[in-house]
Amino acid sequence: MLKIENLRATVADREVLKGLSLEIKPGEVHAIMGPNGSGKSTLSYVLSGRDGYEVTDGSMEFMGQDISEMEPEERAALGLFLAFQYPVEIPGVTTTTFLKTALNAIRKANGEKELDPASFLKLQKQKLTELGMSAEMLKRGVNVGFSGGEKKRNEVLQLAMLQPKLAILDETDSGLDIDALKVVADGVNALRSPDRSFLIITHYQRLLDYIKPDVVHVLAQGKIQKTGGAELALELEKNGYADYYGEAA
Amino acid sequence: MAQAAVQNFKPEAAAVHADALPWLTPAQNLSGDGAPAWISALRDTGAASFAVTGLPTPAWEGWQYTNLRPMTADGFRFDAGGDVRAQDLPEALLPDSHRIVLVNGRLRPDLGTALPDGVKLTALMDVSEPEEELATVGDLATSPLLALNCAYMRDGFVLDIAPHRDIARPIEILFVAAGDAPATYPRVLYRLGENSGATLLERHSGAGAHLTNLYAGVVLKQAARGRYYRFIDDNDAAVHVSRTIVRSHKASDFQGFSSVSGVAAGRQEFGLQLLDRGISSSIGGIYMLKGRQSHDFTILADHFDEDGTSVQHFKGVIDDQARAIFQGKIHVHRPAQKTDGYQSHHALLLSDQAEASAKPELEIYADDVKCSHGATAGMLDTEALFYLQSRGIPAAEAKALLIRSFLNQVLEKLTHDDVRALYAARIAEWLGAEVEADMAEEDAA
Repeated sequence: MLKIENLRATVADREVLKGLSLEIKPGEVHAIMGPNGSGKSTLSYVLSGRDGYEVTDGSMEFMGQDISEMEPEERAALGLFLAFQYPVEIPGVTTTTFLKTALNAIRKANGEKELDPASFLKLQKQKLTELGMSAEMLKRGVNVGFSGGEKKRNEVLQLAMLQPKLAILDETDSGLDIDALKVVADGVNALRSPDRSFLIITHYQRLLDYIKPDVVHVLAQGKIQKTGGAELALELEKNGYADYYGEAA
Repeated sequence: MAQAAVQNFKPEAAAVHADALPWLTPAQNLSGDGAPAWISALRDTGAASFAVTGLPTPAWEGWQYTNLRPMTADGFRFDAGGDVRAQDLPEALLPDSHRIVLVNGRLRPDLGTALPDGVKLTALMDVSEPEEELATVGDLATSPLLALNCAYMRDGFVLDIAPHRDIARPIEILFVAAGDAPATYPRVLYRLGENSGATLLERHSGAGAHLTNLYAGVVLKQAARGRYYRFIDDNDAAVHVSRTIVRSHKASDFQGFSSVSGVAAGRQEFGLQLLDRGISSSIGGIYMLKGRQSHDFTILADHFDEDGTSVQHFKGVIDDQARAIFQGKIHVHRPAQKTDGYQSHHALLLSDQAEASAKPELEIYADDVKCSHGATAGMLDTEALFYLQSRGIPAAEAKALLIRSFLNQVLEKLTHDDVRALYAARIAEWLGAEVEADMAEEDAA
């Protein structure tokens, strides 16, 4: 599904990813853990195609295609989804309009028929119910006046509506209390399936108590330093990242 | 930004006097047309004043940024002829509305609809004894465009809404330009009697080059409720300049709004005069400019008495080398205690060469007042743009969505849903053209 080889990337002329390799197969849940400044968020932006994040070497293949030169919307149409660490507020655009525009843009890009308003609303209502969310937030501007938990829940709603093949969750646990964290994790777990993969980027092990990863990677100094099973996360929680600063230096 | 605006502007092009406007028909051509004495007198006063001042130059206070060059182009003619047939008129803005039609500024009862009880329309030339609002013009030496409007005074009307009448259906006032580059100088007065209510939709449209120089008065007697919505649906060869003076009396309520996308150059001045106590008066607008278009909103809210609320709420987008100007002032005179004044202007710049110039001003002589203003000019939020794109929305569409949401926020204040929809449709139409242009650009790249 996703194959990254020897990826190097710069932000503002500073090399942040320094030869990162990673492969995710369909249905797998991978976690990337690492200290601040290790390149975790950079990886999520490079994968989703944000302006200013430049690939200088190596390759990224998603669904068998080289995505390194694609626009963000083309990657989204292929099935890539980034749940933002800090979801953006868009005053004046309601969540419903936003979701409908996004869903239909993706359908259109894939040669599918756009959903008419009635079918869209039906689908939206169904997803809301599944996630135990209120319809109230759909009428407001996207993320405007939302609490941290509501913003993250809105990300999960988008995930459920857009049904991507690979979802990257960038520090989804940051700023969440334990109840909100459970809601978000339940939402994600409900979406796990044999043909959908997840890449969970996190600083703490906490989220992984609720979303069980198949593979855990340690990212430090712009490279994957160690790969293991779920037990690696527990080890990191106990010992911290100090080992990896040393190793890379 | 302000500096750049001045540099781009060629003062010599605007510093023209009456004899340098090649299209200016001598005003005396009008003499002998049977105009009532007050009109003849105003024509003479206006012509004399303009002969001395000429058009304003950027050296004039309040005219630093306004581009009048398109006005000086050869070709505009007063009484240019030209006509439209009933079937060529644009469809009514709203169903079930009444309609007054003016072709090249001239009232055309044959093209309009009947007006309801309580509404009286009088052609300007039939007004023998004008009331203050029609004949008072203020200092022409500082208002050369108004001086021109006086010099060519002939067309227009007085619309009276009888006291205690609430006119349920909107009245559309349609100005149509026809023929070869007509220049028109209409003067209109909307007079709402005590405790009356009316919704006026003033629309300017027409193909090809034309010049409109409008003077509009709105009078709201005690407790009157006036809604005054303007639509500048001209095209980018048109010039629109106007001054609108809204005189509000005790406990009256005024809401005005204007949208502009189709002008080569424009300047709309609004003067809100809150003459008595307990008045609410608001004016807002949106502009959408591209190419080399320029437009200027110049607003003055004058609080003369206690307990008045005035609101100015403007937003606009500027692409290519277009230029927008906003000059807004709240003037609170000494007796106007407990005034609540608000003013905002926000501009969205879509290109490196687009320009926005804003001059917010407060002048306050009373001590117990609440006045605030805010002005911003910025580019599209790249984070929001990326967020939308990351959800699969193509860049051009994402941009359009952000622009629409930016502009829609001023429409939220409008009290009529159907009027809000009319403005929203203008935004959508403008954005449709933008998206197409953007996509063509991307394809070419």
